[in-house]
Amino acid sequence: MSAHAEATRLLPRPLLVTITVLLCAMVLVPLSYIVLASLNSDVGVAAGEFWPSSFGLGSYSKIWTTADLSTGIVNSLIVCGCTAVFSALLGTTTAYVLVRYRFRGRLTILRGLVGLQSIPGTLMLLPVFVLFSSAGNYLGLTVVGTRWGLFVAYLTFALPFSTWVMVTYLRGLPRELEEAARTEGASTLVILRRIIFPLSLPAIVVAAIFAFLLGWNDVLFASVLTRPETQTAAVALQIFGSSQEGGAVPVYSQMMAAALVCAAPVVILYLIFQRYLVGGLTAGGVK
Amino acid sequence: MTTLLRAPQKAAPKEPRRRGATERQRPLWLLTPGGLLMVVVILIPLVLALWISLIDLDQYTLRRWVEAPFIGLANYAESLDSGLLHSVWISVSFAVLATAATVPIGIAAAVVTQNAYRGRGVVRAVFLIPYVLPSFVVASVWRTMLQPDGIVNRILGTDGTLWLNGPKSYWTLVLVEIWAAWPFIYLMALAGLQSVDHEVHEASAVDGAGWWPKLTRVILPYLRGPVLLACLLATLNHINNFTLPFVLFGAPAPDDVNVMPMLVYVTSFQSLRFGLSAAMAVVSLILVLIPLFVYLRAVRLDVHDEGVRR
Amino acid sequence: MRTGKFLALAGATVLAAALTACGGDDDAGGGGGAGKTLDVLIAANTQYPDEFQAWQKSISDKFKAATGATVKFETFATANDELTKIQTSVVSGSGPDVYAVGTTFTPTAYSTGAFVKMGDEEWKKIGGKEKFNPATLGISGPDEQNQVGIPWVSRPFVMAYNTELLKAAGIAKPATTWDELTQQAKQLTKGDQYGLAVAYKDNFDPWKFVWGMSVQAGNPLVEGKTAKIQDPAVQKAYQTYFGWLANDKVVDPAAVGWTNPQAVAAFAKGKTGYFLLTTPTATNSLEQGAVKGKWAFALLPTVPPGATSRPANGVEAASILSGDNLLVADYSKNKDLAFEYVKLVTEPDVQLDYYKKFGSMPANAAALQTLSSDPKLGPVTEAAKKSVATPFTGAWGDIQLALTNVAVQSLPDLAKGSISTAQIDARIADAQKSAQSALDRAK
Repeated sequence: MSAHAEATRLLPRPLLVTITVLLCAMVLVPLSYIVLASLNSDVGVAAGEFWPSSFGLGSYSKIWTTADLSTGIVNSLIVCGCTAVFSALLGTTTAYVLVRYRFRGRLTILRGLVGLQSIPGTLMLLPVFVLFSSAGNYLGLTVVGTRWGLFVAYLTFALPFSTWVMVTYLRGLPRELEEAARTEGASTLVILRRIIFPLSLPAIVVAAIFAFLLGWNDVLFASVLTRPETQTAAVALQIFGSSQEGGAVPVYSQMMAAALVCAAPVVILYLIFQRYLVGGLTAGGVK
Repeated sequence: MTTLLRAPQKAAPKEPRRRGATERQRPLWLLTPGGLLMVVVILIPLVLALWISLIDLDQYTLRRWVEAPFIGLANYAESLDSGLLHSVWISVSFAVLATAATVPIGIAAAVVTQNAYRGRGVVRAVFLIPYVLPSFVVASVWRTMLQPDGIVNRILGTDGTLWLNGPKSYWTLVLVEIWAAWPFIYLMALAGLQSVDHEVHEASAVDGAGWWPKLTRVILPYLRGPVLLACLLATLNHINNFTLPFVLFGAPAPDDVNVMPMLVYVTSFQSLRFGLSAAMAVVSLILVLIPLFVYLRAVRLDVHDEGVRR
Repeated sequence: MRTGKFLALAGATVLAAALTACGGDDDAGGGGGAGKTLDVLIAANTQYPDEFQAWQKSISDKFKAATGATVKFETFATANDELTKIQTSVVSGSGPDVYAVGTTFTPTAYSTGAFVKMGDEEWKKIGGKEKFNPATLGISGPDEQNQVGIPWVSRPFVMAYNTELLKAAGIAKPATTWDELTQQAKQLTKGDQYGLAVAYKDNFDPWKFVWGMSVQAGNPLVEGKTAKIQDPAVQKAYQTYFGWLANDKVVDPAAVGWTNPQAVAAFAKGKTGYFLLTTPTATNSLEQGAVKGKWAFALLPTVPPGATSRPANGVEAASILSGDNLLVADYSKNKDLAFEYVKLVTEPDVQLDYYKKFGSMPANAAALQTLSSDPKLGPVTEAAKKSVATPFTGAWGDIQLALTNVAVQSLPDLAKGSISTAQIDARIADAQKSAQSALDRAK
């Protein structure tokens, strides 16, 4: 095992430690400011204190009534979870076809997918809303205000990216296993399920993480496509950033506390799934 | 753009062509669910957005927007006249700078978390945090820290320096964006590292190559694909990032950081000129797409190597 | 591997089921009869969340008792959120039935034509126009016949001053002219102590100062379809406003980075004489700081800078007409219910209860009257009566933006400690240009 570790070691230990410490510091210093601010009073944060003049955990209990954060987190987990799973699956199958088969328009599709990424959300907001609400008016299909609607929107926005992640990954995958399976008469779906999915798990996890975060961080679409009972965590969080008209200090400490609380489920999920981020080909599937 | 997505369906009937055994039945139907979603949720709204950019849609015509007067390219003419090019330049240069800076950071982070050690999970989670915090929280935190009498000036001893307005604000934007966005490159590089074959490690270990040549000549080439893709998408994300500059600098934005999304946003939601803002967005979209496709051709990201041919 | 796949599959199924379950839920509610639901969009309240929930509940209960229908409150976090919501609702002809919008946004909302114009009959439905404080109706519409905004609460602007610091400096009563204020600020500035707290970087504050000083000097900024920003009164206003920091040095130099909340926090430390431009909403925040119990509200000066008395055409504007109006959506299928709701929340007892919970002044005249006896609120009720409406034009949003932009672009100069008249004039000229072009487009 240690010989294996030695072989795959990429950096000499001192360098590795230095870089890790530097990077952690870069993240943790501002993060510690957020943590300290969540324990501070609102006026203290507004006055620019780094070290709170008074400590208190009050914010962590207040956030649940200031905004409907728990509903938001549950909704976000459901919508983003679905987005992650389905965009990764759909992205993998799409990428598989694009990588393994040659057909006219293939390159155009690949480039078009990147092009779609550059469309600004602000341009799409109004048209998407009009489209979704007319589905309600003309087809009797309630889309606006449902989690379904939001899911479909996020799934579509995540798809070009998921597909591209999978394209870059699948390209490096040797074809021998597939071909062997195919000569044994396996259908494409079977090959996808038995060979492609297990082999590309690390990339699938990455694609899923990004799709998840896309939905998790979106405010623009969520704020118009949801109703109070379907609103996402990002929208609920937005409430804490609102400055009361008329000059009260915004609830900064609650805002920081809420941001940390909302980040927690994502970090935990990541801790669970990151074990699939190891190994690559040899550790993953072929063996 | 509509044609390109219809292409696969068109290609399908021309099936019976002699190819290798594996290509006898191309399962192109697998593209339909994704294609359908793209058409309905992106392309149709995009066409609608193009239409909006050609009509005089503002608060006075909003209610009966279908009847809003068609004014052809007038919105486009006005958008070119309204400082849009300046804004696009700021956006693009800022985005490229931010990407250039995040790439080495992201790759370094991926490399140092590649080998297992006790506590690696925690380090990996820490690296993810900036990406998980909502943009407006990140921006609020930095805005507070960068006040003239804030913690940054106190630590640097640069009392009263103005970070959030004036010429320095541009660099503030770049730095905060770097802080918030490098985990994206990190995750992509990490995924790329996973595709490095175990034998490659062993082979280079046998060679007895030093760590630097091994890293640059053996390992990093594996990252080329994912990292180039990440660069591309990260740049596009920077260009379209609205929340960060909005919360950091407020609206109206100082001239030095009047990035394209801010201009579009203010035109759209404060001046309520939706037609004009749609035209602005379309112009900047086109301006971004041109270098994008040049880049795509240059790096040959989308030309597949060992994939199809044998 | 196998179990992992099973888990993943099971997880996906559960998630998908959750999505569907919700899709079903949402269809409920649209039915007819007594089961009707009225959608009301109001600002979220982060200062008093518990009271806010209690208030929502008590209103729903009362509404249910009176009409049999339910009220569903939707909240928005920021003015931007609200605008997006209004925009999408207006375009698609569906959304909330009643909107609570800020007064300065009412002209823009009016210009969309998407809200019900209040005729005699509509006013009667909500209990008569005469029940409101007359000043609050000033920004309901362009004229008496075309009103869409129903006054709900008012939030007049006042200034807060540190009673101890003023006393220590030998100042008997707060300033009533801008020149006097500058003078007193100089007296108050010494050591680590400053005369004024001003939020120079705020997205809204700057235009409120400039508008106020100009109106007092007789220039309402808009006349018919002409913008009057390139004008000596406006120039003087900017000079005074920038001058506090650049020439008089009576403001903490760090104020170039302050938005309103930071100015509140600075004043709350108890080292500043005056905090210009605040409302009773800030009470909670001020009481959290060292200034607790040592501050009071006062009317903002109403004599323009450079003068000792108001010119003949000057207006005694103590504050912009500020607060919230209620608008009923034109597309609403529940208009009668909407008016019932509006009637309910503008009744004196409900208004007083709202004031007690959140500190926003009643728009209802009778309710306001009962509050004027409170000495602490004296200046605020007076400001409510001396509030003057900003020009009622769909272009106002742009004009406000142009006025603020002058301040935003001047901040680097201010930080350097000096700003020339030529610089100010050039930026005023830009503002004039964009304000005029917005007015030209107004219909």
